[in-house]
Amino acid sequence: MIQLSYLDYIAVEGKSFFHRLSPGLKIFGVVLILFGIVTLRNLSGLILLYAILLFLFSISRIPFRIFSLTFYPLIFAILFIFISGFQIHFILLVFLKALCGSTGIVLLLATTPYPMIFGVLGKFLPSLLVTSFFLTYRSIFILLNVLEETQHALYFRGGLQWRHPWRSLINISNVFGHLIIKGIDASEKMYESMVLRGFKNKIHYRGE
Amino acid sequence: MSHIHLPDGVLPVWLWVSGLIITILLGAILFRFSKKEELTRRLPLLGMMAAAMVIGASVEIVPIAYHINLTVISGILLGPSLIFLATFVVNMILALFGHGGITVIGLNTITLSVEGVFGYFLFRFFWRVSKRLSLAIFLATFLALFASTLSMIGVVGLGTSHYEELIHQDGKGILEFKLSKEKGEDHKGASEKGEVNLRRFISIILPLGFIGWLLEGVITALMARYIHRLRPDLLRLEGKTS
Repeated sequence: MIQLSYLDYIAVEGKSFFHRLSPGLKIFGVVLILFGIVTLRNLSGLILLYAILLFLFSISRIPFRIFSLTFYPLIFAILFIFISGFQIHFILLVFLKALCGSTGIVLLLATTPYPMIFGVLGKFLPSLLVTSFFLTYRSIFILLNVLEETQHALYFRGGLQWRHPWRSLINISNVFGHLIIKGIDASEKMYESMVLRGFKNKIHYRGE
Repeated sequence: MSHIHLPDGVLPVWLWVSGLIITILLGAILFRFSKKEELTRRLPLLGMMAAAMVIGASVEIVPIAYHINLTVISGILLGPSLIFLATFVVNMILALFGHGGITVIGLNTITLSVEGVFGYFLFRFFWRVSKRLSLAIFLATFLALFASTLSMIGVVGLGTSHYEELIHQDGKGILEFKLSKEKGEDHKGASEKGEVNLRRFISIILPLGFIGWLLEGVITALMARYIHRLRPDLLRLEGKTS
């Protein structure tokens, strides 16, 4: 989650060909990738799609440390392979589908700032939903700041230790409880300032 | 654990399309019958709780690949209708991190909403019966997670014939992968080998899930105790706690 701010920084500051492409075109590209993932049922097709995505990733000048994000869905894909009775073809198929999807998404996120993505989605989705996306996105950063501050307090209270599971559980619960209380306080202030600025059910993004 | 961490393209099209349609219909009904001013006023709170759920989902308990959902506590704080919208937003953002596919957003919203809505009503029920905050929250969380895990298993089970189809696609591509097949193997043997084993999946998910439900139940109960100590008004409880 801490990588989110880094991902956002790369998306805003990046100067590659991909960064300059219109967000609508990139989202259309992701839709095409999803179409490929859903319809392709043979390994060769998926390997080809993955190779294309790796090539696009390499020319988009995204830092290599971001690439590790694309492996995240594999943690959960492992659980699913037990269904197949460990059939190698099925396992490879599921893993490749997961990798193609995550590489396409990371490619989009690392080259397009979130507000631009939400701006495009705003043309198709109800304004209430898009406003919720904006507010959630903004709130993630507010809560991450609170979490960072709370980490010091957590550290002084003994942090998370396997040797003291009960104390660790109390500590982690207090951190999340604190996060929720601070979040609710912040949401009340956020609403007041939004109303003060003339908020009427919709957040307008100019895409600058 | 209780929502589907499946990549795109594994579930049959009819299943995830149905999930999306049901989600859109439920969303439209909830939107139609809710007060617009009230909804707008609570949007920042919805965003904040959704953000807390996204952050909770990123805290992984490594040995069992479990993460806390915070759906039940969010359901209690937001109420049954707003939690539906919150879970949709959470699933959309999580999908953008590769945490579950884009196409399964509808199904994941339904599964997580089951958790949030059940959690809300179970908490109200156990609170009324016992008047003990920690117990009521623990039982509500445990049972709500159990219910949503069952609904997740149900959804995965609905795609059985599709997985069999995918398994038997073996070797139909341009590059032939015949790592698990012998040339002289008869068709019956191959189909037995390629059978979908949902029981094995359930036997792995349920014990892992059980540990997760216990953990999340305890964490949610402790969190609620902390919230109740500092801001008792947020839980909107009637009567005294013990």
